[in-house]
Amino acid sequence: MFRYESLEDCPLDEDEDAFQGLGEEDEEIDQFNDDTFGSGAVDDDWQEAHERLAELEEKLPAAVSEQTGNGERDEMDLLGDHEENLAERLSKMVIENDLEDPAIMRAVQTRPVLQPQPGSLNSSIWDGSEVLRRIRGPLLAQEMPTVSVLEYALPQRPPQGPEDDRDLSERALPRRSTSPIIGSPPVRAVPIGTPPKQMAVPSFNQQILCPKPVHVRPPMPPRYPAPYGERMSPNQLCNVPNSSLLGHPFPPSVPPVLSPLQRAQLLGGAQLQPGRMSPSQFARVPGFVGSPLAAMNPKLLQGRVGQMLPPAPGFRAFFSAPPPATPPPPQQHPPGPGPLVQNLRSQAPMFRADTTHLHPQHRRLLHQRQQQNRNQHRNLNGAGDRGSHRSSHQDHLRKDPYANLMLQREKDWVAKIQMMQLQSTDPYLDDFYYQNYFQKLEKLSAAEELQGDGPKKERTKLITPQVAKLEHAYKPVQFEGSLGKLTVSSVNNPRKMIDAVVTSRSEDDETKEKQVRDKRRKTLVIIEKTYSLLLDVEDYERRYLLSLEEERPALMDERKHKICSMYDNLRGKLPGQERPSDDLFVQIMCIRKGKRMVARILPFLSTEQAADILMTTARNLPFLIKKDAQDEVLPCLLSPFSLLLYHLPSVTVTSLLQQLMNLPQSAAAPAPSNPHLTAVLQNKFGLSLLLVVLSRGEDLQSSDPATESTENNKWMQVMFMATRELLRIPQAALAKPISIPTNLVSLFSRYVDRQKLNLLETKLQLVQGIR
Amino acid sequence: MNYMPGTASLIEDIDKKHLVLLRDGRTLIGFLRSIDQFANLVLHQTVERIHVGKKYGDIPRGIFVVRGENVVLLGEIDLEKESDTPLQQVSIEEILEEQRVEQQTKLENEKLKVQALKDRGLSIPRADTLDEY
Repeated sequence: MFRYESLEDCPLDEDEDAFQGLGEEDEEIDQFNDDTFGSGAVDDDWQEAHERLAELEEKLPAAVSEQTGNGERDEMDLLGDHEENLAERLSKMVIENDLEDPAIMRAVQTRPVLQPQPGSLNSSIWDGSEVLRRIRGPLLAQEMPTVSVLEYALPQRPPQGPEDDRDLSERALPRRSTSPIIGSPPVRAVPIGTPPKQMAVPSFNQQILCPKPVHVRPPMPPRYPAPYGERMSPNQLCNVPNSSLLGHPFPPSVPPVLSPLQRAQLLGGAQLQPGRMSPSQFARVPGFVGSPLAAMNPKLLQGRVGQMLPPAPGFRAFFSAPPPATPPPPQQHPPGPGPLVQNLRSQAPMFRADTTHLHPQHRRLLHQRQQQNRNQHRNLNGAGDRGSHRSSHQDHLRKDPYANLMLQREKDWVAKIQMMQLQSTDPYLDDFYYQNYFQKLEKLSAAEELQGDGPKKERTKLITPQVAKLEHAYKPVQFEGSLGKLTVSSVNNPRKMIDAVVTSRSEDDETKEKQVRDKRRKTLVIIEKTYSLLLDVEDYERRYLLSLEEERPALMDERKHKICSMYDNLRGKLPGQERPSDDLFVQIMCIRKGKRMVARILPFLSTEQAADILMTTARNLPFLIKKDAQDEVLPCLLSPFSLLLYHLPSVTVTSLLQQLMNLPQSAAAPAPSNPHLTAVLQNKFGLSLLLVVLSRGEDLQSSDPATESTENNKWMQVMFMATRELLRIPQAALAKPISIPTNLVSLFSRYVDRQKLNLLETKLQLVQGIR
Repeated sequence: MNYMPGTASLIEDIDKKHLVLLRDGRTLIGFLRSIDQFANLVLHQTVERIHVGKKYGDIPRGIFVVRGENVVLLGEIDLEKESDTPLQQVSIEEILEEQRVEQQTKLENEKLKVQALKDRGLSIPRADTLDEY
């Protein structure tokens, strides 16, 4: 507003209102500016308060001191303080403190939950004289006028000159943001480059290395009370009066939360009956503290908690290097988690892997490593009779003045992250190839052991533990004091940005090309859906082995149902009168993936269904051959087809042969040329299929002489025609079949004379040796 | 001491001399001092080695911090066998000159090729005009 030096300077043509306005302004100013004009000025003497604070500051250890030339960093700290303040206020505003959306709350809570730096005061810009002092140093040099008032008001202190030769190791670090999920390297008062003063006591388990649990609490001291000791069962912990665990703004129905360490130990220590443990017990966030565990033997728990334990059946850890004195790996009694976990997944609420805690096996390895290192260090200092290799290695390290810049703690930290990345909720799904490979290896080595009685070779295997899934019912963040519900969009609650409307095109507008393209796309979609069904069906065997007795019939039903839908997909549903057209099937077979899929599906189909597929294939074989020219995938179908053929009756084989060779129904004069047959014979798959069919027919004929005469006649008729056709085909046009059945010679010998037999033999290269 | 068998971990490689090949084609040789979970590397006493034909030249670079995604491969250097190479070390100026010459000849060849193709009515898009990924 206007500020005039004196009243005389006001322009004379000002209204009187203006003066009054000014006067009102002054009153308003008076009302609001308590510090200057109100009680603040009278009662409090902030100067004195500052002085008192300054004295406090001096008494604090010199370790907490200031930095001299680092003006920028100080300003950064200042901003950091600002943010902290703001963040604290924000966090108080948010209603839901047991927030399910960690993405939001983490961002807010990151700052205030930092370990309080030793000696740092309450971070208000007006209170922290330490902060102010830090400002003043560089500012004196830079002469920033905006802070000159502060400067004037502060108690005087000697300039920070002789601090250059202060010990660098006692410098306060800039604030580091902590990574919310996995933690971050331990926040230290000493920069990393300084050589260690003493051996670090590995209490870092209880520090920030153990990352925060999934749900977020209001800022609490990060260390849980060690005096409670680790020998108490969770039940006891719950009952301890005045426990800080209970002092939570949680609803009373939620049992108190354990620290990450205790929870992980609990998980590691839970010796539950195999098969009874279900992930639903993990499903509630702090749920495993609740009633199911009350049923556990508390003695077991008490005796076990605090030790390093073998993983519980709840953790399906695949490992073959047995830790000392453990029960056999829990693969023998298949626990429930497998199919149950999959069932849980299909439900609406989101399930995330609890990868914030390290698997006990991994943690034990880490500890072992640390102890080994410590022993190594100790032994180094003592005896000197190490192996030459190691001594040279140690020599190198000794001579290298820059060695061990990366501390053991940091190495362990990286290793820990790598180990945590191995945890998954379903290793079979996430890490299929690795699991399968090692299962095969184990089977091999087991077989070898059975054969030879050599010493058991322990092959160490990477542990990829299975962690439980935690249920997260997402509740959106609500802010206090806002009008209505403000939705904050985050990773876990994405907001719809674009309103995409799907419009279906009318048939008329499309061009021919588009129609073709759409049809192909539809076929591709059908193939994909059927393939998923196929993968599920193939997986049922494994699930069957893992499941409990009661669930098996349900599994079988599911499997049957899926097989039926697969077949429907292949042949087209709602046939109408009869199979309307082979169109869908042919479309599928035109695509390489479709062919491979059919080959895999065939073993699961019933005989009639499979025979139907075979017929359709034979009927349309020339077309398929033409389409397969580029892919050459048809031969993959040969083996399932030949397997199928061994189950087919004679009638089917006969008609199949007819279809294959496109023989007319009656033995009338054949068509001059048979392009169908030509195409079939020119293709590797076609020829092979033909030969297999012929072979099967021969088997049926020779093995079962008491067949019905009609079938017999039919077969003979067809064979005559077939041989006639075969004789007509020029030799050069034949492909090379995949395999030649052995009984074809005897087959043909029935129907043709010697001369023609020889002809056929040479043509089809039936006699071995002619190749 | 490998407690994670079957994995690739750089922890055992710390404080050893390594050769690092970067995505932009540079070859760095240095002592691996620090790593993190993204395989970001801190190389100490780093030397950038330029190879042209049978000759190579070293440019001392000091400390390198390499972002993990830019590393193609890296391998430990056996200090005893390090000097056992058929390659000939030359001075920095010389190797830079050689490199420049090599680049020039490559460019000229490329130009000739493109011109020849153009004469025949074909065009091959150049790699730098394509998207990198």
